[in-house]
Amino acid sequence: MSDKRATLAEAVATVPDGARIAVGGNTLHRGPGAAVHEIVRQGKHGLEIVKTAGAYDVDLLCAAGCVAAVSAGFVGYETPFGMAPAYREAVESGVVEAREHACATVIAGLRAAIQGVPFMPVAGLGGSDLPAARGFQAVADPYSEATVYVVPALTPDVAILHVQEADAAGNGRIIGTRFEDVLMAQAARRVILTAERITDGAAFAEAPESVAIPSFLVDTVVAAPNGAWPFSCTPHYGYDAAYLGAWLAAARDPDAAREFIADQILAPAAVSA
Amino acid sequence: MIDSGARAAPWDMMAVAMARLLHSGETVFHGVASPLPMVAILLATHLHAPDLTYLNITGAIDAEPERLPESTVDPALLHRTRALVTLADLFDLSARGRLDVAFLSGVQIDAEGRINLSAIGSYQHPTVRLPGGAGSAMLMPTARRVILWRTKHDPRTFVERLDFVTAAGNVDRVVTPLGIFARHDHRLEVESLHPGVTPDAFREATGFAVAVGPETPVTSTPTVEELMVLRAIDPGGVVRSEFA
Repeated sequence: MSDKRATLAEAVATVPDGARIAVGGNTLHRGPGAAVHEIVRQGKHGLEIVKTAGAYDVDLLCAAGCVAAVSAGFVGYETPFGMAPAYREAVESGVVEAREHACATVIAGLRAAIQGVPFMPVAGLGGSDLPAARGFQAVADPYSEATVYVVPALTPDVAILHVQEADAAGNGRIIGTRFEDVLMAQAARRVILTAERITDGAAFAEAPESVAIPSFLVDTVVAAPNGAWPFSCTPHYGYDAAYLGAWLAAARDPDAAREFIADQILAPAAVSA
Repeated sequence: MIDSGARAAPWDMMAVAMARLLHSGETVFHGVASPLPMVAILLATHLHAPDLTYLNITGAIDAEPERLPESTVDPALLHRTRALVTLADLFDLSARGRLDVAFLSGVQIDAEGRINLSAIGSYQHPTVRLPGGAGSAMLMPTARRVILWRTKHDPRTFVERLDFVTAAGNVDRVVTPLGIFARHDHRLEVESLHPGVTPDAFREATGFAVAVGPETPVTSTPTVEELMVLRAIDPGGVVRSEFA
């Protein structure tokens, strides 16, 4: 089994500008925070972010000028904090394209990619303006009189996922909710796994069903203790409400957001890689 | 002290009203950013609907959270779940017609009970880019019943015309701080006004025409039992968080 370990900087360096990246986790929880910060540090641009429900990841990457488009069903910090101000500003000013989805159409697009088919039928969507706005077509069921909406395959160039535990080969264990991480790992052309800790995978053989992401799907593994921060990573830590509050206070103003990014993320003493 | 004679706080009234709409035996789902549905579902399971199946976006089934989080995707919502599914599994459940109730909301809601969570102004060049509808465009037509809730009841929320239709579908009720709409023949009708809300106040707060008058029923005030159970479930008052 090959050793796929790399530093965070090395792993993120393999993400090309303009890539479509699937970002693991959901709203405030188990996003790959350290990798997102490294993307900012490396000054990536033109990225398309794929996620059912994003928050700080989408918001920060928009503020830092890394993003061209966001394919998501929801972007916001939920009730504790509300809307994502930098994402809003980027979309409202036309810098970032909101490729709005229903969360279920993100999943359907990933499933099409996973199954090697060009599109995937999805139930519902009737009466919504979303299909027209996004160009999702309704097609005739060849076996009945029904019609069904289909969404095109959504193939991420890279999935970036943070898990609680992995081995050097890239077997990743997820504690608690898996969100869309497994689908992302299956759909993406390449997978970068960051992990709270890298352990000897021999122990995984005792409970292989606990491994959510199998190594053969994974290209790069990064030891990233505290690597979801400021997202939660159960059972190790919750989301960092104080930090997110400080970020959101800055994010409402583009200059303040840039200053925050310079001080908190780009400065050498900031967030360790 | 809990005094059912006093007028209930709007969050308590909403949580209780939403809980009363749920029935034992139903499968009930809430997604992101849904503190009131979370509280209402748990309240129903502790009162009149013990056999309700509580599903949420974490994939937990009948979780019994020790503390209620403000984020409704929080791992706290996994507590005591005996099985774990994925969000995709829950969408699939709705897609095949097996989800009884989904709680959804809208920044704008029209007289047909359609919602906008996408954009204010032009969709392509929005004045306000909203968070997006999350699961709603798929859930609203496929869940058997959709209960909308919204903590703001004003003419900018309840509008004649949506700027964008994010989702439309099987809306059954809409619960607000002022009252409850029920949908009949694709049109929201006032089912009841919460105690202390006048017909004029309700009419003025609603941006589309509503039939409301002295004959309009009044929502039953939360009972002492409902409020006691609500406090026991939610001692920290997460139920208030959407009113901040």
